Amino acid sequence: MAQEQGNTRKVAIYRYDPTVGGDGHYDHYDLHIEDETNTTILDVLLRIQREQDSTLAFRYACRVNMCGSCAVVINGREGLACKTNVSDFAESKDLTIRPLNHFPVVKDLVVDMGPFFEKYEECLPFFEPRDMSEEPAIIRPDSIERRAIGFSTECIACGCCVSSCTMVNYHDGYAGPAPLNRAFTLLLDSRDALYEERLDRVLQSCYNCRTEFNCTEVCPKEISCTRSIKFIQRLAIKEPFRAKAKSKAEAAASAPAHGENVAAEPCAAHASGEAGQCGCDENLDTGRRNFLAKVTVGLGAVSALTVGGVLASTFVGQSLDKKEPVWVPAGKLGDLKEGDVTTVNLRYVENVGFYNQERVKPVMIYRNQEEDKVVVYDSRCTHLGCSVHWDARQKLFLCACHGGAFELDGSVKAGPPPRPLATLEHRVENGNILIAMV
Amino acid sequence: MEQQNVNNYRKPLQWGELDPNRHRNMFVGMWAWMWQRITAVAIIFLLGLHVTLTYKPWLQFLLLLAVTFHATLGLRVILLDFNLVNVKYQRALIWGLTALGLVIAGLIWRAM
Repeated sequence: MAQEQGNTRKVAIYRYDPTVGGDGHYDHYDLHIEDETNTTILDVLLRIQREQDSTLAFRYACRVNMCGSCAVVINGREGLACKTNVSDFAESKDLTIRPLNHFPVVKDLVVDMGPFFEKYEECLPFFEPRDMSEEPAIIRPDSIERRAIGFSTECIACGCCVSSCTMVNYHDGYAGPAPLNRAFTLLLDSRDALYEERLDRVLQSCYNCRTEFNCTEVCPKEISCTRSIKFIQRLAIKEPFRAKAKSKAEAAASAPAHGENVAAEPCAAHASGEAGQCGCDENLDTGRRNFLAKVTVGLGAVSALTVGGVLASTFVGQSLDKKEPVWVPAGKLGDLKEGDVTTVNLRYVENVGFYNQERVKPVMIYRNQEEDKVVVYDSRCTHLGCSVHWDARQKLFLCACHGGAFELDGSVKAGPPPRPLATLEHRVENGNILIAMV
Repeated sequence: MEQQNVNNYRKPLQWGELDPNRHRNMFVGMWAWMWQRITAVAIIFLLGLHVTLTYKPWLQFLLLLAVTFHATLGLRVILLDFNLVNVKYQRALIWGLTALGLVIAGLIWRAM
């Protein structure tokens, strides 16, 4: 009866024997599981080891999602074998279990975590108190600092995030999500004394993250390492300003009282031969450097304001002002061909911001004496502003580059132009035609 | 790590070789990242075509689509980088911003 209630699963497990070598292969096992909701992948591995293949190697310790040693890739996704239930996968689905990516395989599912922990140690994953105190620290759970750290301290260093991260594969120097997450928890801890040292070590590393969120998706503790890395990246942005402020503070601390010239003598650190630790440059005194910095910033601001003002008054101011049209003569009305279109180049002077510029503007004038009609068309295409010309043979206005065509009345015949040709205002005085240019 | 042990190790599995389920290791955030890079290359390619082949509606449409995808996904990364949106909404940002971008692209295409 119990046999009928369960389900037989096909389990494929990656096998690698270091004494044989090679690339490894998958061994397939059939396992009957009575209650899949209460059976973990770790149970499956243990049963296969006990019942079918005693040579199968895998690693586990706590069985309660705390130690992280049983991390494997199950059906393509990283997870803890002791946390993942068989019922998490559809009944019809086979189980495929293999070791983590990016870790050397020792045997079967066991990987060498050495490279991972070497990178972990590079990020100084330990707490160094700033002030020695016998009293326990008071950390308010609602403080900004504690809330920012959040669940990031729950990391069990199982390596799932590193296995899922593709950037670990591409950048040898990249510490990876877990070490950066650990560094993040300590960087945000105001009690910690190793802020600079730790930040220096993760600065290069943190920008290798490509915001793929693979680490966040697979983390068995539901920590977002991407979030931690983003925090470090933002800290890194502030870093140059912080270093400058620190050197200023140190220079001020070592400065003699009563306004004496600070450049007159080197600082204490230089005097003792600790070059590079004092934060100042002995070749340039700080007073002069500050003056140069202020002059540079001032000149930059004045230049930016000047250029901005000129550009604004030229382009924005022009468009805001209501411009009076310039009536430009286009010749005698009688000289225009009757019943046809004549192209005329208008020459006039336009005021552009601070100066006047001579313009030549071609317009196309249609004259029909029978209907007592004169229409002045703009020669710019309504699509992208390219040139339009009159084709007397086809009796069409043709666009220069886009295959656009307009009828004699200005309406669109073909091509991309979305609107008919624009018309210009005109008037006739003493037989002369005048066209308004705005 | 001792050298003699290293020689016995198998090199790391990098891409889930031999794993029939390797495709399951690509999550939506990674697809977004890949799609942004694909559209970046597509923009360069289509811009070249755009200069060469003057006015072709299909080309302009493809270019507009590529720019839309690239811009919206880039905006998502900027929002996450500067903590303007909580990272827990990273999936919603992909769909939301892409939908918004496509609507705007549609309006631009209609107005052209």
